[in-house]
Amino acid sequence: MERTPLTPERIRADVADVLSVPQDEITDEVQLIDRGLDSIRLMTLIERWRAEGADVELAELAERPTVADWVAKLTR
Amino acid sequence: MKTEEYDVVVVGGGPGGSTAATLVARHGHRVLLLEKETFPRYQIGESLLPATVHGICRLLGVEQEVERAGFTVKRGGSFRWGTNPLPWNFLFALSPEMSGPTSFAYQVERMKFDDILLRNAAARGVEVRENASVGEVLSDQERVRGVRYTGASGQVREVRARHVIDASGNRTRISGAAGGERVYSEHFRNLALFGYFEGGGRLPAPDSGNILCAAFDEGWLWYIPLSDTLTSIGAVISHTAAQEVQGDQDAREKALLGFIDRCEIVRDLLGDATRVTTGTYGELRVRKDYSYANTRFWRPGMALVGDAACFIDPVFSTGVHLATYGGLLAARSINSVLDGSVPEDRAFTEFEGRYRREYGVFYEFLSAFYDMQASEDTYFWKAKKVTLFDASAMEAFVALVGGVASGEAALTDAPALTARFAGSSRALGAAVEATGSMQTESGERMNHLFGVPAVASVMQEMNDIQRRGVLGRATAESPLLRGGLVPSADGLSWTDPETDPRTDPA
Ligand SMILES: Cc1cc2nc3c(=O)[nH]c(=O)nc-3n(C[C@H](O)[C@H](O)[C@H](O)COP(=O)(O)OP(=O)(O)OC[C@H]3O[C@@H](n4cnc5c(N)ncnc54)[C@H](O)[C@@H]3O)c2cc1C
Repeated sequence: MERTPLTPERIRADVADVLSVPQDEITDEVQLIDRGLDSIRLMTLIERWRAEGADVELAELAERPTVADWVAKLTR
Repeated sequence: MKTEEYDVVVVGGGPGGSTAATLVARHGHRVLLLEKETFPRYQIGESLLPATVHGICRLLGVEQEVERAGFTVKRGGSFRWGTNPLPWNFLFALSPEMSGPTSFAYQVERMKFDDILLRNAAARGVEVRENASVGEVLSDQERVRGVRYTGASGQVREVRARHVIDASGNRTRISGAAGGERVYSEHFRNLALFGYFEGGGRLPAPDSGNILCAAFDEGWLWYIPLSDTLTSIGAVISHTAAQEVQGDQDAREKALLGFIDRCEIVRDLLGDATRVTTGTYGELRVRKDYSYANTRFWRPGMALVGDAACFIDPVFSTGVHLATYGGLLAARSINSVLDGSVPEDRAFTEFEGRYRREYGVFYEFLSAFYDMQASEDTYFWKAKKVTLFDASAMEAFVALVGGVASGEAALTDAPALTARFAGSSRALGAAVEATGSMQTESGERMNHLFGVPAVASVMQEMNDIQRRGVLGRATAESPLLRGGLVPSADGLSWTDPETDPRTDPA
């Protein structure tokens, strides 16, 4: 299967997808918990990103759930 | 003798049978379900998991009806287990902030829950016949062809079908027709003695609906709040205690009250509650509580689902999940075969592979979980120490459940397995310690526990089932098994990922 590298755009698109909201509502700083992020959605995202080779722990992403923070952690 | 014909015959109307039957009928196939009893009937196994409530029940179209039944809401399990003298929580939500609409399950009276599922099966097109006891399977060299059963009138009848599902529970008479045999795990041969109490106390909110599992010297007790006042209590003890618990009701009562008395937290919670002594809940029951799996889960024309296929110790409330998961997998395989999209061999290899994987990850978690509390002081707990497991018995059982997946290879040799299980036990113990006691700030956060690989493995498929419920649609998935199939868009059959357009990331 083709793998797309994890780009900030891809991360934002995935987040918008599991939260079922338009991408432009997912700004860098919006608190994802306020937009409906819950355990099952967070685990969905982590599984997806791990499948793409991301080496990331649940606790790391749970700590500060914003796109800005996740982009920093996932694309470092 | 009059012979009828169906696409599928399901034997047994418990959660496994109802799930399989309903999900096959949802694809328009003709399904007959034969149930020995007349529902509602008693069953043990009252504590559910979110995957069943939000995933399976949603697929069955029965989620709202289950919600309306008003069962006790369970946000997780509380455990007096391991080194912490205080109980700690295993919650379904990662944290209070991330507690979503599916971060809970129910404690159910199985008489009610199973009845809702069976009536729902009938409402969704399954022909349900109660008071119909299946005695044998009809088969020839090539495949299983149907069943013979005794109906309500005492008349013996034959039904022919392209597929037979045995979901007739732990006392199945027909699972051998799949060509295998039941193999028991040497290390989890327990007995359970259980009954019901009125007026027992509750854990403080928000944990008042949780199941409590509390270890004591001779085993452990469950404490399940079924309503504001009704509590299900059971003792899980060594099979060597058979003498003590097998006697008449008076002897059983004495034994159960003795166990409760020696388990401080349950004794205190129970206070001066009274035991129910009349009606369905008035009986003190004893059940063998051995973990086992069948050497074969299917042969052409027949598949095993639920306790008929395999059973694992109840400490994580997994029985109904495994039964309904098996029902879902069998339905996917049958739907794919009946619509001609996947050959039978491939569809059922996927069924068996996923089912054994699920059983295997729970078996590792179970071994690690018991090991956290294990000690050499008493017979019950000594038998649960992974470093003292009999090597050949462990190898045989783990090979049977498909091997423990370690990176690329399946692990089945004893020293490597022991090391692996002991490592999982340490990781679990460390996570429990870092999480801390219930009703504390850290005790509300499951990031340590969810981060343990053995825990992540058991949550993988359960999360997937739930996610289908939550997101209301399928997301592209990679195969769980190498070269395997993936669920179709509606989740009710299999497709080949090589030819599935959804796997295109665009
Ligand atoms: C001590 C103990 C505690 C448990 N606690 C839990 C728990 O907290 N949570 C949990 O999820 N699970 C628990 N379980 C496990 C749970 O009870 C089972 O895993 C679950 O009921 C299996 O469902 P099933 O559909 O496979 O079988 P069952 O629920 O047993 O249903 C099988 C049905 O088949 C019918 N049948 C049998 N023979 C025939 C025949 N010949 N013809 C037609 N019909 C037939 C039976 O009447 C029955 O209705 C526990 C188990 C034990 C032993």
